[in-house]
Amino acid sequence: MNALSRREMIQASAATVAAVALPGSVALASAPSQDNITLRLQADPRDYQEVIDAYAGVAPNVTVEPVSVTGIDHAEVATKILASLAAGTPVDIGFAATEATQLYAGEGLAMGMKDRLLDQPDDLMEYFSDVSPVLVETDFYEGDLYQLPRDFNAANMWLNTKLVGEAGLEMPGEDWTKDDFNEYAKALTGLGPEGDSFGFAWNNGLWGGWLPWIFVNGSNLLSEERVGGGEWLWDTFYADDPNAAGRGGGFRWPEPQANNAANVEALEHVVALTRDGYAPSVERGFAENLSGFFAADKIGMYPGGGFFTGFLQDAGMEPGTYDAQFWPWWQSQRHQLGVGALWILIGGSEDAAWDFVKWHTGRDVMEMIGFFRVTRTTPARRSMCTAERFPNVSNWNIFYDTVDARPDTGPIPAPVFSIELTNIFTRYTEVAVSLEQSPQDTLDAMQRELEDLYARNA
Amino acid sequence: MASEATLGSGRRNWLPSWLAGDTVQGIRRQRMVLGILFLLPTLIGLILFVLGPIVVAVAMGFMKWNVFRPPEFVALKNFARLFQHDLVGNSFSNTFVMMAMTVGMLEVFAIALALSVHRFARSRLAYFFRTVWFLPVLLSGVSVAVTLSYMFHTDFGVVNYYLGVLGIDKVPWLVSSDVVRLSVSLATVWRNLGFTFIIYLGGVSALPQEILEAATVDGARGLKRLWLITLPLLSPTILFATVIDVIRLLQFFDEPYVMTRGGPGDSSRTAVMMVYDTAFANLEFGYASSISVVLFLIILAVTGFQFLLSKRWVFYQ
Repeated sequence: MNALSRREMIQASAATVAAVALPGSVALASAPSQDNITLRLQADPRDYQEVIDAYAGVAPNVTVEPVSVTGIDHAEVATKILASLAAGTPVDIGFAATEATQLYAGEGLAMGMKDRLLDQPDDLMEYFSDVSPVLVETDFYEGDLYQLPRDFNAANMWLNTKLVGEAGLEMPGEDWTKDDFNEYAKALTGLGPEGDSFGFAWNNGLWGGWLPWIFVNGSNLLSEERVGGGEWLWDTFYADDPNAAGRGGGFRWPEPQANNAANVEALEHVVALTRDGYAPSVERGFAENLSGFFAADKIGMYPGGGFFTGFLQDAGMEPGTYDAQFWPWWQSQRHQLGVGALWILIGGSEDAAWDFVKWHTGRDVMEMIGFFRVTRTTPARRSMCTAERFPNVSNWNIFYDTVDARPDTGPIPAPVFSIELTNIFTRYTEVAVSLEQSPQDTLDAMQRELEDLYARNA
Repeated sequence: MASEATLGSGRRNWLPSWLAGDTVQGIRRQRMVLGILFLLPTLIGLILFVLGPIVVAVAMGFMKWNVFRPPEFVALKNFARLFQHDLVGNSFSNTFVMMAMTVGMLEVFAIALALSVHRFARSRLAYFFRTVWFLPVLLSGVSVAVTLSYMFHTDFGVVNYYLGVLGIDKVPWLVSSDVVRLSVSLATVWRNLGFTFIIYLGGVSALPQEILEAATVDGARGLKRLWLITLPLLSPTILFATVIDVIRLLQFFDEPYVMTRGGPGDSSRTAVMMVYDTAFANLEFGYASSISVVLFLIILAVTGFQFLLSKRWVFYQ
């Protein structure tokens, strides 16, 4: 008898566990069919192989084929998905962060889930009880739900506690203000082994760029309103949840307001940080690029969600040298949010895809996903947000409290044309933070281009 | 046992009569068919992957198409729009500026390198230099651009670190619209120099030694010999290399896309980036096609102009 390899053993165990434990918990819409189906799933096989192997035990006639799509940010990933669609090789189950949720839904690509959820409410009752309504509302579009939240990240503030200690400061409290932040930024500058640290660093993007400052300054890049509808979900799954009160059928951003006074003030704030030497030059990239510098004590504070835990672990940061806190108060403490989830392509194998997506919401399934093992994103399930998930982060509870204890947290503005919106936002931001144009002039120009964008997409 | 003649006729039995004859015409026809058969895979490839996409792109330039809905014929609207679109004009202008800088540096450095390395032609050092200078060409453009964007980071980059050691202030390589095109061009030169260098090395190796020696005997040395003898002899190679480089660099994409995404603002946005963003970010495939058609015509015109000018300065022996 041949000895099983470790990989085969893990696969067999996962498949057995899944086969024994899971089929009883969900009813598969496509179960009676024995036709072989291949589902193309947008996922990195390194994160999803165990899930895929387990699903082979649940639905032996369904082959899940992972399609890995990478990008510098979620907008670029969406761009590549659209390119694959144009090339005639779409995925059956895609992944969308908030940047692309309305894009796929609004362009008629993603399947609305309302009817299926109302058909089998019991199957998902436990799931919704474990997921904040703040996250669920983000995945609505015009009254229908297009995704079941898998993970999220709100922009919290990470602090290098080694530098905080060197500056003779304590970790700030959860009610700290923008003025406190400025004091920290000054104090954390010029420290570290080579005396060249920056108090604060950020990346230029729609999520986690300077948008959090717009939010806490009581504004938004685009005007924001709640769409009516959605009672079918709130009444069914969140009847007893006070945080669900007043929620609707998603968000709408009817017009741009880039150059309003609050936004100009927010941009002036971040430009001043760079101009005064408390923040480094703001260049393209995402958190991976700067986690190494944070770990090397060259950055004092950085905007990030729970995902940064894994990045700092990978960067070899020592326990007890970093922690997180809520974003500081300004006019408010409203945090910005992005939610990630799977969506189903209309016209593909919708039944089989729905079975997979529904099964995938199970806690045991989510525990198999690689990026929850070394935390590279925050689980949407409350019960998965534990101290163990965020090792060495004393304030680990703030990640989920950002949606539970601060339910005014809202999504980044991401209408159907969010990719183009992101490009406009980041392009003009670059001009302002490179000190080549005043914040007012920059935002006036951004506003004109956003108005053109709205006119083209009217 | 069958005779050879029988075998011969047996072999030709399956051929149609117009091809089977042993006449001169029959043999010509056979050769022609054989030639076509050999060419067929390449022709099919060209039609499917070159000519076909060109035709579709031109046709798409007259359409409005966003992938989700069927294409709609809009006549010349896309072309009219692009001539009024500042961003398109800006991206073409950036492309020309960066192409000119990059081609200028590429040709000068590559000729200098080729002439230097040629001096070691008979030693093992020639292999070493050829390999070393060609190595960057083998690297992926994206990985080079990612690495260089770290190196060029204003505050954390190694380039500014060493400039600081020399007492030079930080240069905002990628975040100043005055500097960014130079930074991107330098990155492109570093990766592409080996390719142009190899072309020139071939050209230098083929220079007629008797003319060079005669020039030396007549007293032409150093820069004078380079300017009056070597470069004119090398002019066909210079024409070839510049045509190739201009065509490649008018399609600038990898380095600026990865290093700056066209920023800051739009100061390093190139024409091909404009095509990419218009198609895949804005989902305006028709408009993107019209920009690419104009870019194609510009490349065609520039190349034609290069050949026209070459009559004045290229010296064929």
